[in-house]
Amino acid sequence: MIFDKPNTLELLDAVKHFLDTKIKDEVPPHLAFKLRIVENVLSIVIREIETGNDLSQEVISGLKKLVESETANIEELAHLIRDRKIDLENPELKNLLVQLSKNKIAVDNPRYSTYKKLIEST
Amino acid sequence: MKQELSGQLSDKLAKESITGEILNLEPLTGGASKEIWKFEIKSKDSISKFILRRGSGIEGPLAIKTSDEALIQKNVRELGACVPEIVAVSRVDEPLGDAYVMKFVEGESIARKILRDDEYRAALANLAFECGESIAKIHQADITDFSFLPKKTVMEQIDELYQTYVSFDQPSPVFEYTYHWLQGQDFGDLNDTLVHGDFRLGNIIVNSEGLQSIIDWELAHIGNPLQDLGWICGNSWRFGKINKVVGGFGDLEDLLRGYNSISEYQVTENNVKAWQVFGTFRWGVICLIQASAHLTGAVNSVEKAAIGRRVSETELDIVDLLFLGGK
Repeated sequence: MIFDKPNTLELLDAVKHFLDTKIKDEVPPHLAFKLRIVENVLSIVIREIETGNDLSQEVISGLKKLVESETANIEELAHLIRDRKIDLENPELKNLLVQLSKNKIAVDNPRYSTYKKLIEST
Repeated sequence: MKQELSGQLSDKLAKESITGEILNLEPLTGGASKEIWKFEIKSKDSISKFILRRGSGIEGPLAIKTSDEALIQKNVRELGACVPEIVAVSRVDEPLGDAYVMKFVEGESIARKILRDDEYRAALANLAFECGESIAKIHQADITDFSFLPKKTVMEQIDELYQTYVSFDQPSPVFEYTYHWLQGQDFGDLNDTLVHGDFRLGNIIVNSEGLQSIIDWELAHIGNPLQDLGWICGNSWRFGKINKVVGGFGDLEDLLRGYNSISEYQVTENNVKAWQVFGTFRWGVICLIQASAHLTGAVNSVEKAAIGRRVSETELDIVDLLFLGGK
């Protein structure tokens, strides 16, 4: 990268901090709800930059084993299920769908109740 | 804008013989697709509070007209169901647009407050029962009064949701699996009824006494009444209180006890799971629809953009229900 510091994460963090400390108490009630959404969006972007690659690779490597293809991707898996070209009762498929869903929520909303429940039970 | 709206409101209400000065017209946080305003009318000796609900002109494909929502509420109110009193209905070609005015109902609709604040703690104990009772009354409405509502069997709805999901060209292995699973389920062969379509915590008004009103009728249709029972049991509407199956506040047993105290058809817990999965899938597709309004450029909305990243919540809930023993 040719760009100077701060990096993307550091820039986003500064914006988030600004909203949290300077703006939050200033906005009227009907915008407070939207501000919270804005902060959540920033948090998603930050988590995706930090962990998105590893979380994706973990699922993709499981998928490659399952379908025995080095080029497999999520879209292809969806089509295999759509066209019934994969055994839908295969426990490995079910495990992969669980892993995929967990890894997506780990970026989108790691405080989600079902995710917390599943993490605590493992 | 506010002044113009105030004038339009005043004109509309005058036709319903409600006159007086409009005061404190303020927008409220509402659903993603409708405007909601709170206001007061000062007449000679009193001040009355009202709510204006108005369509934005950009409706989701599943939503009915705002004015039609009002007609349904008028009808079910006569059956003794817990809904706000409608005082004026405006058709889309009137100056106020597709809208209605209802009397303000004292209480709280914000889910997290209802679940958290001490004020509602006593009311929560009986709320699942009351919800069951109230929705059962709504399901007793005479559906011949609602010729304007779409009629949808569950399989038609599943297909409609699936085709909507497919149209967004974002293939999801979990949704593909869900579609296959849903097609193999028995959803119960019940007579068609009025279905609220979005009956859940967030769309009910509660005070310290208990349930006061069922609001937000934009997803109403004619279909299988069990849909409303499955929907309120979805984890999407438990707001973190995952162990309380009904809206994060109650048990399924109590909801069904309330329902069965009114309904001729006696619903069992086994009837509900397929509808929970259906409801979770439906909410996932609604999230996709909301997000697409932003993605296509129809609107630029951070709320709608953000909701695209809530689809994964529904996927996780579905795999939990199907594979991991989730309730």
